[in-house]
Amino acid sequence: MDRRKIDIYLSTFLIVISAIILTNNNLVEGGAESNLSSMFLPRFSACLIIIFSLTIAIQSLMKLARKSEIKQHEIIETEGLSGVYIYIGILITYWISMLFLGFLISTPFIMIAVAVLLGGRRWVSIISMSVITSLIIFYGSKFFLRVYLPTWSL
Amino acid sequence: MFDNIISGFSLVFAVGPILGIIAGVIVGIIFGAIPGISAIMAIAMILPMTFYLGPVVGITLLLAVYKAGIYGGSISAILLNTPGAAASFLTAQDGHALTKAGKAGKALDISLFSSVSGEMLATIVLILIAAPFSLISLQAGPIEKVFLLLFAFTIIGTMAGDSIPRGLLSCCLGMLFSMVGMSSITGASRFTFGYTELMGGFTFTPMLIGILVMPEVFNVIRRRKDPQNKLTITRSPNPEDNRLSFKEFRAVFKTILKSSGIGTFVGALPGLGSSPAAFLAYSEAKRTAKKPKEYGKGSVEGIAAAESANNAVCGSSMIPMLTLSIPGDDVAALLMGAFLIHGLTPGPMIFFEHTQTIYAIFAGFLLTDLFLLVIARAGFKFFIKIASLRQYYIFPCVTAFAFTGAYTTGQNMDDIIVLIVFTIIGYGMRLVGLNPAVFIIGFILTPFFEQNLDQAMSIVGTNYWQLLASPFSWIFIILSILAVISTIRIRKKTKESPKERAA
Repeated sequence: MDRRKIDIYLSTFLIVISAIILTNNNLVEGGAESNLSSMFLPRFSACLIIIFSLTIAIQSLMKLARKSEIKQHEIIETEGLSGVYIYIGILITYWISMLFLGFLISTPFIMIAVAVLLGGRRWVSIISMSVITSLIIFYGSKFFLRVYLPTWSL
Repeated sequence: MFDNIISGFSLVFAVGPILGIIAGVIVGIIFGAIPGISAIMAIAMILPMTFYLGPVVGITLLLAVYKAGIYGGSISAILLNTPGAAASFLTAQDGHALTKAGKAGKALDISLFSSVSGEMLATIVLILIAAPFSLISLQAGPIEKVFLLLFAFTIIGTMAGDSIPRGLLSCCLGMLFSMVGMSSITGASRFTFGYTELMGGFTFTPMLIGILVMPEVFNVIRRRKDPQNKLTITRSPNPEDNRLSFKEFRAVFKTILKSSGIGTFVGALPGLGSSPAAFLAYSEAKRTAKKPKEYGKGSVEGIAAAESANNAVCGSSMIPMLTLSIPGDDVAALLMGAFLIHGLTPGPMIFFEHTQTIYAIFAGFLLTDLFLLVIARAGFKFFIKIASLRQYYIFPCVTAFAFTGAYTTGQNMDDIIVLIVFTIIGYGMRLVGLNPAVFIIGFILTPFFEQNLDQAMSIVGTNYWQLLASPFSWIFIILSILAVISTIRIRKKTKESPKERAA
């Protein structure tokens, strides 16, 4: 994937967001009077974001217009990204399952899923590692850190 | 000051801090040695577990993880030729050449001894310089601090990014994200869009784990089909090749001292970090070496130079953080967050408000070096075995620990959403060449910047020109401009002569 094209889309997006920050007064609510308005620094940052995004976008546009040779660091490798999408799916599933099933039940399944994604096929050791780690984290947090991890709520 | 150092030592010589240091050293070496996990990731994952410990135990544990993690990185660099960070690149070059020659033991030994020597020297400099320097920095008022922070933003943004605009953009994005929630000055809620959950802003730890740790898991998943090499120590039939003799250590000691000095100096400058320190020390050692041709092909002196400079940065990067509230590099930024979470605000006042605690942390810093030397020397084989575990055992655990760490901060499921969202943002930033570490530094420093700017505006009123009345303002403005210009020149130079660099 050509990073220069992504640069242009990303810069446009950031410039639009910054323009909204600069022009919209509804992004801040309440607050006391002060020498520095509550929106001074966000707007200052937005101005800088516009400047730097424009710089990046113009540089990339010029390279694309000149059809200059693409350099190694300007290529975004897409190989293996499918695994990343699956992993993000696993993370979201972990969050949802933890809400309802609790930490102790959801964690071993999620750990097994990640291990399988990484090519693990030694079922006995993977399952034992997942269960033991979950138990150690759950009870370790409870007794040593006094942190009560989510439990079954269905 | 010496009374404070002694009282610091008396505080750290207790069961809690000692156990913390031992645990930190073991965890740090293991995490550092695992290819794909760096010291910064280790600290981010351990940080939530220290919330429930006292500041002395918690901070010393984190510092032990940091120091041992940096050293641990050299194990995979030497044995596998996989430098976890750019700073270990030179160690990998010489160290792996020695491993291939059957002298892995010698390479690991010199790496350990020079790491510990570099760290110790930098720690001593930190102890001796930080407190007196804080007396000078105490004189700085809000106006000076505003310009100092602007200087810090500029130098960190320009030095650390893929390019100058990308580095500065990363910093600005960090600034913007830090302003979500209730303003500490006016009490106004900004960018909350009516969601009360956003009133407190983004929780630091889940964001940190998301930005810095989890994208590395993404990288491992992307490379999951690549064959995984096993860490093994190659052994030579000649016992002299498997260890470092005192004579050899004495021969490179001068290089270690010089490189540690370079590392300490570079580390104390905000924004540079360990890689320039290692490269500078290495080229200086090569320039003055008797056998410069051996460098890059298995030079013991080369490893000593790179490792001592690389590790000296650990201690000295704390100098700007503790005296000026400016983190020297990404790890220092993370540690600054840890200090804040433990109720210690880094800055010159820390030496007056938390005298005993800060000197106990310094003592812990020194003690860590000794424990690192003993534990690493005694357990080379054990650490290598643990670090050789298949990635399908390691990264499921990293995922579970990351989720637990995110949840522990506020015992709130919303923090896990923060973790997932920032994981995606952090990975996206890496893909487009933005720097996540600079983002974090922008995020941490902005509240201080806003507070000082507000105080500065109260002082000057409508006479804005008074902001430029102090000579320090001009000094920092000039330094910022010089930093940008010199970085542009350096980058241009390196672009012009890629062949020369390759040679």
